[in-house]
Amino acid sequence: MKVEGATTHEGRAGLDMTDPRFWRAGAISTTLVMLVVLAFLSVDSMRVISVGGAHVPRYDVVNRHIGYQYDWSRREDVPVIGAPEPLFGRTLTEAQATALVREGKLVIQSRACMDCHTFFGNGAYYGPDLTKSWLDPAWPQIWMPMTGKPTREEAMVAFLMNPDQYPTWTRAMPNLHLTEREARATVAYLKWMSAVDTNGFPANFGKTQTQQ
Amino acid sequence: MYRSQKLSLRYFTAAIVLFGVMILFGLLSALYYLYPSMLFNVFNFSTSKILHIDTLVIWLLMAFMGAVYWYLPKELGHEVVGMRLAEITFWVFCAVVAVVALVFVFVQYGSANEFTLWFINQGRKYVEAPRWATIGVVAVMLVFAYNVIGTAVKARRMTGIMWVLVLDLIPLLIVYLDAFPAPTNMSVDLYWWWWLVHMWVESTWEVLIGCVMALVLMDVMGTSRRIVEAWLYIEVMLVLGAGILGLGHHYFWIGTPRYWLGIGGFFSALEPLPLLGMVIHSIYDAGMHRMKTANRPAFYWITAEAFGNFIGAGVWGFMMTLPQINLFSHGTQWTVSHGHFAFYGAYVCGVLAVFYVAKQKTAGTEFLDGRAWKWSFGLFNFGMIGMVMGLLIAGMAQAFYGRAIGGSTLMAFTQASENPWFIAGMYARMGFGVIFALGYVVLVYDLLTAPRRVPAPQTPMEPA
Amino acid sequence: MTPAALIETAVLLGLLVLAGGGYAGLYGYGRLRARPALVAAATACWIAALAIALAIAVVTPLDAGWKVLVVVSAIVYAVIPPATWRYLERLHVAEGEGP
Ligand code: HEC
Ligand code: HEM
Ligand code: HEM
Ligand SMILES: [Fe+2]
Repeated sequence: MKVEGATTHEGRAGLDMTDPRFWRAGAISTTLVMLVVLAFLSVDSMRVISVGGAHVPRYDVVNRHIGYQYDWSRREDVPVIGAPEPLFGRTLTEAQATALVREGKLVIQSRACMDCHTFFGNGAYYGPDLTKSWLDPAWPQIWMPMTGKPTREEAMVAFLMNPDQYPTWTRAMPNLHLTEREARATVAYLKWMSAVDTNGFPANFGKTQTQQ
Repeated sequence: MYRSQKLSLRYFTAAIVLFGVMILFGLLSALYYLYPSMLFNVFNFSTSKILHIDTLVIWLLMAFMGAVYWYLPKELGHEVVGMRLAEITFWVFCAVVAVVALVFVFVQYGSANEFTLWFINQGRKYVEAPRWATIGVVAVMLVFAYNVIGTAVKARRMTGIMWVLVLDLIPLLIVYLDAFPAPTNMSVDLYWWWWLVHMWVESTWEVLIGCVMALVLMDVMGTSRRIVEAWLYIEVMLVLGAGILGLGHHYFWIGTPRYWLGIGGFFSALEPLPLLGMVIHSIYDAGMHRMKTANRPAFYWITAEAFGNFIGAGVWGFMMTLPQINLFSHGTQWTVSHGHFAFYGAYVCGVLAVFYVAKQKTAGTEFLDGRAWKWSFGLFNFGMIGMVMGLLIAGMAQAFYGRAIGGSTLMAFTQASENPWFIAGMYARMGFGVIFALGYVVLVYDLLTAPRRVPAPQTPMEPA
Repeated sequence: MTPAALIETAVLLGLLVLAGGGYAGLYGYGRLRARPALVAAATACWIAALAIALAIAVVTPLDAGWKVLVVVSAIVYAVIPPATWRYLERLHVAEGEGP
């Protein structure tokens, strides 16, 4: 291995760019700086996305009406948490709501919904995105008549328990054998999730744009 | 041949087998888009896709480990420490993978409880394997880390490349620990899940393949160590400098604060830079050392790695990484297009180069060339480019009709999926996928048959 | 962002990086083989990249910050392939592997 020969040819010992050590120092310091910045940003992000933080509501938000409206000052769609609107007609305490939503998450993981669907746009692309599924006009327009259920949440339970019986098109959802209890928990999860502030994703939900 | 190199060959074999399994399930997954009632309720798309992407992660990890076991003794001039343990671990690794695959195929999913997470399926993309298996993989990786570090200590020697490798293994392992938790809050879940996925593919794996490529460059092209090391440090600096905060391009829409739109967009816009550097470097080295190259397939695959990484990750990534675009392209087949191109360009090409290095050594030829590898090289590249073009068109149709026009509802999703452009894209992916699979068949044939050249004279070669 | 602008913008961004790659690739190859024609083609690629960047700034609805980033990086990028090349040469000369 050459030692300092190359340095003299450069004329500037100590800052020889052909010396690997120069770049080693650069690599280490750049990485450390980035990691420190990331650590600070992560602490701050956790504050915002923890339950009850600025962007993520508490689980008992399932007791309220949830909308999704264009906000002119932010220039994007934002969730709007409105008047009381208990899920399945029953107002839950925070503890009850937390337990229910927790179970919903376990359903979602145990059936690997994410390997067909996306949540906040992450997952697989075989089925529709579920971020705002709670607000999907398909429930009142298609599935409430099809299942004969009087409310959105009951239609969702009926669909989730037997999706293969209520297809809307050729690419149907298979039956993953959710119990009624599991299906209700999943509905609570989807309702809570629709209240998360996602910086405007998805855009124009439910509003068809004209071309150009 | 060192003992650890025999183990590498075993890892390479397992990796190639799993590569085949992965392609098989990729083709099956693609078929559901064309025949959605296929195997309905019996063996669903989700199960097939899990097998496709989980085998992807495992076979690439196995190939990386094999590559390190191959070069480690050579780098440090010392047989790898703890080989017996490493050999047992290999079989443990294979057994874990086989059991998980069987459970996925026959059990598929469970009820909503912790038992399912421990023993059946965790339902988190790329790391669906149940927790017991995740513990198994962590144990395997720990033995691997022990082999590497133990050898360095025993040999009382460390090279720059080995330092980078060892330091890189630490975060690589730490972020893998994120395969365990199951937080209720989806925003928190995805926040840390992306540390695992992004920090693997755009940081730690990128550095790991940089180390492996550095070793291959010295081996195949005879580039000097000082050059390779200086270049490796530059790459690490740029890759981590842009890639660590580039993580922000996954934090646009998961509930995270708004500043991530600026940070993620800015740093991921810088991410193509190191990839460009690799292109220039590979042209330089290819030109300077072409005459000395004794292993044509490895040489071509390294070059393909530089270009593929740049186009698949750099161009395809940049196209959709600014938040205003990503708002619509996010979570469509556009993402799939980029995912395939980037994984293929950055990792598959590099790993194939290493396979050919190993083949040359085991066959004992001084000069490796032939016809079959050219066919597989051509079929692989042609198949992949066709696939990602089809997926790009399908994804743009989804972003255009389903998102920007349709407003992202079920109805919009359905209509976009019935759009002729989308359907054409799905057929293209299927057709080119078959071509890609043919490339695999030729690859296996080529790796298994002895090279036609006369074996090298039995001069006492340095152990290689 | 309108649906059509979305696709246009994405395609322009992709082409921008691709033109950047063309500049780097052709420049490297041209220098390697000492072919001025290729180096000239490389410069043409850079001009194309700059033109694409300006087009992005003029016709797309990207926010001003991104437009500035795109144009400034296209301009700065002019020096990167030659600088990288010179550096690689110096590195190889220092190692006695020079051209
Ligand atoms: C094999 C793939 C697959 C799996 C796994 C899957 N789904 Fe579906 N899902 C679909 C498809 C396809 C549709 C569209 C069905 C239709 O329109 O008929 C759908 C539709 C839905 C809808 C209606 C979407 C809307 O916004 O109108 C919901 C809600 C849903 N799935 C929830 C779930 C949940 C919860 C799970 C996990 C327990 C799950 N899915 C697992 C494929 C899947
Ligand atoms: C080796 C390098 C890379 C690999 C292997 C890779 C792979 C992937 C994969 C597999 C995904 C999909 C993840 C998922 O949702 O499952 C993804 C997403 C993404 N990648 Fe990369 N990538 C690489 C580099 C880059 C670069 C350099 C950029 C930017 C310039 C980039 C930008 C993105 C973006 C923006 C997404 C999110 C897509 C979405 O919104 O759905 N990637 N990448
Ligand atoms: C025969 C070739 C292949 C076919 C037909 C195929 C098909 C598929 C399909 C259908 C999906 C599911 C996407 C979705 O959710 O809609 C997928 C996902 C994926 N495949 Fe492949 N695949 C092939 C080869 C490969 C190769 C070679 C790689 C890696 C180098 C790869 C990496 C991935 C990744 C990372 C994903 C997840 C990406 C995402 O969802 O964004 N595939 N593939
Ligand atoms: Fe990423």
